[in-house]
Amino acid sequence: MERNDFDKMLRDRLERVTEPAPDVWEGIDRELTRRHRRILFRRFSIGAVAAAASLAVALLVYRDLRPERHVEAPVTTVAEVQQESSSEPAAVEIAPIAEQISRLGEDRLVAQAKTAHAAMADQSGTPISAEPVQPSEEPVKEPAAEPAEETVVSVEPANPVENEDGKLSMEDLPEDFWREDVPDTKAHTSTISILSNLTTVASDGDLIYRASPMHSSSQSGSRQATSLVEPVSGTPKFFSPFSLGLQIEFPLAGSVYASTGLTYSYLVSQYDMLVDKQLFEGSYNQLHYLGVPLSLSWHFVESPSFALYASAGGAVEKCIYQRYVFGSNTLHEKVGGLQWSARIGLGAEYWMAPRLGLYFDPSLVYFFDNGQPLSIRTQQPLQARFEIGLRFKL
Amino acid sequence: MYPVCVRYLGREDAKDVLQDGFLTVFDKIGTYKGEGSFEGWMRKIFVNACLMRIRKGDVLRYSEDISESPELGGTMDYGVMEQIGTKEILDLVAQLPPGLRSAFNLFVLDGYSHAEVGELLGITEQSSRSQVSRARSLLQEKIKKLYNGTK
Repeated sequence: MERNDFDKMLRDRLERVTEPAPDVWEGIDRELTRRHRRILFRRFSIGAVAAAASLAVALLVYRDLRPERHVEAPVTTVAEVQQESSSEPAAVEIAPIAEQISRLGEDRLVAQAKTAHAAMADQSGTPISAEPVQPSEEPVKEPAAEPAEETVVSVEPANPVENEDGKLSMEDLPEDFWREDVPDTKAHTSTISILSNLTTVASDGDLIYRASPMHSSSQSGSRQATSLVEPVSGTPKFFSPFSLGLQIEFPLAGSVYASTGLTYSYLVSQYDMLVDKQLFEGSYNQLHYLGVPLSLSWHFVESPSFALYASAGGAVEKCIYQRYVFGSNTLHEKVGGLQWSARIGLGAEYWMAPRLGLYFDPSLVYFFDNGQPLSIRTQQPLQARFEIGLRFKL
Repeated sequence: MYPVCVRYLGREDAKDVLQDGFLTVFDKIGTYKGEGSFEGWMRKIFVNACLMRIRKGDVLRYSEDISESPELGGTMDYGVMEQIGTKEILDLVAQLPPGLRSAFNLFVLDGYSHAEVGELLGITEQSSRSQVSRARSLLQEKIKKLYNGTK
């Protein structure tokens, strides 16, 4: 039999062979189910971000439409000041108000009440004694040798709108009277944050073979000119990137804050790669980045213990270490250039203690093509990121 | 496609690659333009998957395979081939040393040219010719032995 005849006969025989593959479809079914779940998670993530954005817009609209409230008063209100014209010194009853304020456990208010009261007395030209600051059943009065008209400050749950002429309402108090008594946990103070975040991985990619090194140079970044490693066609797998960082946030103006800091990111990819012309399937690439973020945030809902904010900014990152793991070997390669990214997001922060807060900051991040090594950032430039961290007021 | 994977990898590894190959087919089905047969398009995907698996596991044994392969010659009768079952032939192909087996499968059974085989395996065209020739001789020898054993 000639060589060609042998080849042809062999080809014909093997062409016709059929053989059922055992248990393959179960594995395929499992893998497809896993992929389906991943797709659902990706859609859920996008939906969550969209819902958060919608909520933020709704809150903004509501905030704009809502009528402004002149004073956000606590429960205790100063209702009226009974004043009768007299040239004599007047005794003032401030015990009830002091008592009520003391019940709130705010000693500072007592002093403020006294100050405010003194101011009112000055306006009316009536000397006032504000001695009694301790809770008492009896109103404390100035001793008066002669009958004197009294200026009485009493506390009752009255509606400040129902003022009558000649009566002093809470609106006559200094503007910052009540504001200062609210525990200030956030107002325009710098914070420092410890953060970590996870990024959704929505792409397994369909890596197309490229004969030349995949990481071409670009204007804003340059990778090493030659690499021993080339990704090849296959189905790369990208693990969720993980970041840790330290950020400081400081107020700029009004409810606008700026933040910057230092972040560390770790990216792992698994794909088939040619290492010095030899193929290694399912090998790993590990990337370590250090970055400096810079962002502005606007707190559109801000209360003493809770805030919602929108933020936008960017980051520049430098790959400080890259390692390939193929078979039992490892290879280190330097990575040139910088990774630039932009992000927008919405966040919420909750102050659990006067100086300790927790925040959650979902955002969308776009990684620009800066010639960086193959990773989830090059395959899926737009990513949903979920950042969580602790915030400490400085 | 299972027999294709078996003759490149053997039965055990063939199952894994068959699964990966089908998933790749599902992923890339949209890229099939209707040029050529669908079976041929699928076969290329599976062959590519098999080659990657072989290279991963056996890349360091390439040279051993080549150097240890004896030069065999001789001819074979048609009758011998007729007496051997197809599944036995499939297993004999799968038992060839990985380096020789890849080149032989690509050139003889899947219709690649020596230039293409060389490019796919990262070897020279001449080396491809040499490996195919050695694989063919080795396979003929195995078939003869099997035939003599069953006679």
